[in-house]
Amino acid sequence: MLTAVKNQIKVSFLSTRYALEREMLNKVTFITNIIFMILNNSCFIVQWIILYSIKDNIGGLGFKELLLLWGLAAGTFGFARFFCESAFNISDAINKGTLDNYLVQPKNVLLSYITSTVQVSCLGDMLYAYIMLFIYGITVKSFILFTFFCINGALIVVALAIIFGSLSFWFGRVELVADTMNSLMVNFATYPDGIFKGIVKILFYTIIPLEFVNYIPIRLIIDFNLNSFIIVIAVTIFFISLAFIIFYQGLKRYSSSNLMNVRI
Amino acid sequence: MAVITVKNLSKSFKVKTKEKGLKGSLKSIIKTKYKIIKAVKNISFSVEKGEMIAFIGPNGAGKSTSIKMMTGILYPDKGSIDILGLNPVKERKKLAYEIGCVFGQKEQLWTHLTPYDNFRFFGAIYDIPNSRVEKKINELKELFELDDFINTPVRNLSLGQRIRCEIVASLIHEPKILFLDEPTIGLDPVVKENIRVLIKRMNKEYKTTVVLTSHDVSDIEKLCKRVIIVNNGSIVLDDTMENLKYHYLNKKIVDAKMKEQVNLDDEDGITILKDKGYNLKIEVDTKKKSVSDALKLLNPDNIIDINISNVPLEQIISDIYKEGDK
Amino acid sequence: MRKYLYIYKSEVMTNLQYIVDILVGFISYCIIIFIFLNLWNYIYSDPSELINGYNMNQMIWYVTITEILWMSISGRKLCRKICNDVRSGNIAYNINKPYNYVEYSLFNHLGVVTIRFVCVFVLGIAMGIIFLRSIPSLNVLQIAGFLLTCLLATVINILLIVAIGLISFFIEDANPFYWLYSKLILVVGTIFPVEFFPGVIQPIIKASPIYVVSYGPARLFVNFETSQFINVIVAQIIYLIISFSICHFIYSKGVKRLNVNGG
Repeated sequence: MLTAVKNQIKVSFLSTRYALEREMLNKVTFITNIIFMILNNSCFIVQWIILYSIKDNIGGLGFKELLLLWGLAAGTFGFARFFCESAFNISDAINKGTLDNYLVQPKNVLLSYITSTVQVSCLGDMLYAYIMLFIYGITVKSFILFTFFCINGALIVVALAIIFGSLSFWFGRVELVADTMNSLMVNFATYPDGIFKGIVKILFYTIIPLEFVNYIPIRLIIDFNLNSFIIVIAVTIFFISLAFIIFYQGLKRYSSSNLMNVRI
Repeated sequence: MAVITVKNLSKSFKVKTKEKGLKGSLKSIIKTKYKIIKAVKNISFSVEKGEMIAFIGPNGAGKSTSIKMMTGILYPDKGSIDILGLNPVKERKKLAYEIGCVFGQKEQLWTHLTPYDNFRFFGAIYDIPNSRVEKKINELKELFELDDFINTPVRNLSLGQRIRCEIVASLIHEPKILFLDEPTIGLDPVVKENIRVLIKRMNKEYKTTVVLTSHDVSDIEKLCKRVIIVNNGSIVLDDTMENLKYHYLNKKIVDAKMKEQVNLDDEDGITILKDKGYNLKIEVDTKKKSVSDALKLLNPDNIIDINISNVPLEQIISDIYKEGDK
Repeated sequence: MRKYLYIYKSEVMTNLQYIVDILVGFISYCIIIFIFLNLWNYIYSDPSELINGYNMNQMIWYVTITEILWMSISGRKLCRKICNDVRSGNIAYNINKPYNYVEYSLFNHLGVVTIRFVCVFVLGIAMGIIFLRSIPSLNVLQIAGFLLTCLLATVINILLIVAIGLISFFIEDANPFYWLYSKLILVVGTIFPVEFFPGVIQPIIKASPIYVVSYGPARLFVNFETSQFINVIVAQIIYLIISFSICHFIYSKGVKRLNVNGG
């Protein structure tokens, strides 16, 4: 069992490495991609400078805390899309039958598939995340917590991408739904949750669980609290398990189903 | 000893149907209609250890679906499959260590890496210690003549070289059975021939059982001792290559363009398919008359252009059906 | 002129089949507007409060209009197409044709924009009305004036993007320049009216393309003043001439270079 896990990690690591090498073939494109992503993120600081010149507390966050939120959001989505880019294309893989190649390998289909590509510009997101942390004020504690929550949040984001993408096992071409859910997450994540009311708040705790990805972690970095910390971890485990269950249920259906989309 | 036993295997698909035009599109949004296609109908066969067997049939005959079921990608609706004592549905992972697969239309290799790095990667997937991977790579490098390009990124290789690498990659873990789904698709005849020779050599060397599919009769003619012809999801023939050759591949089609009009009459061993004066199409039964004899009848000096080909697979299949009707 | 109208018409027809894609793109538009609705709702303690001369509804309508203008442009596609034409040498085929590449690109892309604009405009306005339950009161003449400025804004925007795309005659990849342009429009031009920026940079923004391609029309929609309308139109005509000349200048320089280098 342990060697199996070790071997799986080795293969996933190798495929991430190879995927990165593939992107680095063209050095200039590689570096411009990263730099432009950092600049891209930085542009939005203009927006917040203006908003904070009107009001110095927006949705419960001050300017510096907002930068930290931006940083954490960039970090979570950066980590997620860098290491598990393919998780965001599961729908397509299901419809095109790309999963078949992984099905004949003696490894975990889901893990092998999601680590098969990387999104290079996300390295820019990750760098940007730490620049924001630096501006906010870096300490050993904030660094450790920040990194932890980046990874933790990334796990939730990837798990959700898998869940939304796996809907294709049942409903066929639903890339649209998956893409919309993923872009909903990204769009909302950079705004403080305090500005939203009612139903959106409920969504933040359920199908777009940004509370556990970004908002509670931000509060924890500012002011640590063990209870919330444990809840965040529990929720993460819940979403990961759910993703695995749904994906494998879907895979069973994929293999036994009589639905022929593109594949013959 | 049988390594593959398939009994009464069936699989059907539901395919969305759509009426023509905008109205049809709108209708299909509200209520999708499905058409049931029986991709595989109640097929049974078994394969012995070390055997090379070919599935041939036109596109959509059910070859790929059968291979997918044998490798555990698809589950059958009905029937049972036993591969090396394993059930592909329940023991997919275990089975994966024992079999190798090459899907001609789906690449498994990383195109920016060299074949060598790719092989190392596959070694990791199958949990093979590095020293053994090295040894195996060297062995297969010889066998498949990869020396010239083992350190060239895959994207710079020709299609034929790529397929050779795909096959080697699927052999790294010393599978007992190798599944090749349309391995020669899209290759030119010379390269095809080359791949066939290599597959044959590999089979001889390692005694690996090989199951391959193709829609090209010539693929099988030289490679396999046994042929299974499938059409519309059913096995229409499961026989030795020798018998198939004797009964169905003994006919050649001669398509000739003549300078002057020839008056040719049906005689033993020659059937006239088309006679338009200057353009002539005849079928020669080589059991009764050799091709050269047939050409003599045409007067070689009179021929402007000539093309001699095998009887198309579709023709053979319909011949087999006719035979059955008798 | 007739041939350009024909190019325009056939492109409109072609793009009719992409309506579903446009509607899909509208989802992200909805999300953005929804977020701004919440944001301004939070920042304005009372909807009638004025911040830099705008009340809450006006702020949201402002973003609604600027986003409509930006979304319908589909500029990245245009820039990429021009870059590809230049780099693949396709443009060489156009040199011999009895039309001008700049005008051809303009009318061709206007065909793309028309369908997008109609869809996004109708839906965007409808969404604004649903969210805000009100709409700035404009009379028929004012609406016509507003739409005229939208048209001019679009033409200028397309010409500027064509000019950026044509830079690839001289450098490897013009897409980063497009990226810079788009960020400038998005960050400075769509979210906030000029009045929200520090006094020092306001004149710079007013002189920049932002004034004619996004601020101008949107400002007229939320608060139509005839004097403002005249300002915008005059500025747009000046920019139209400038951008048109720049395009032709770069194109003729580029073609010369192409002839020298043999593509």
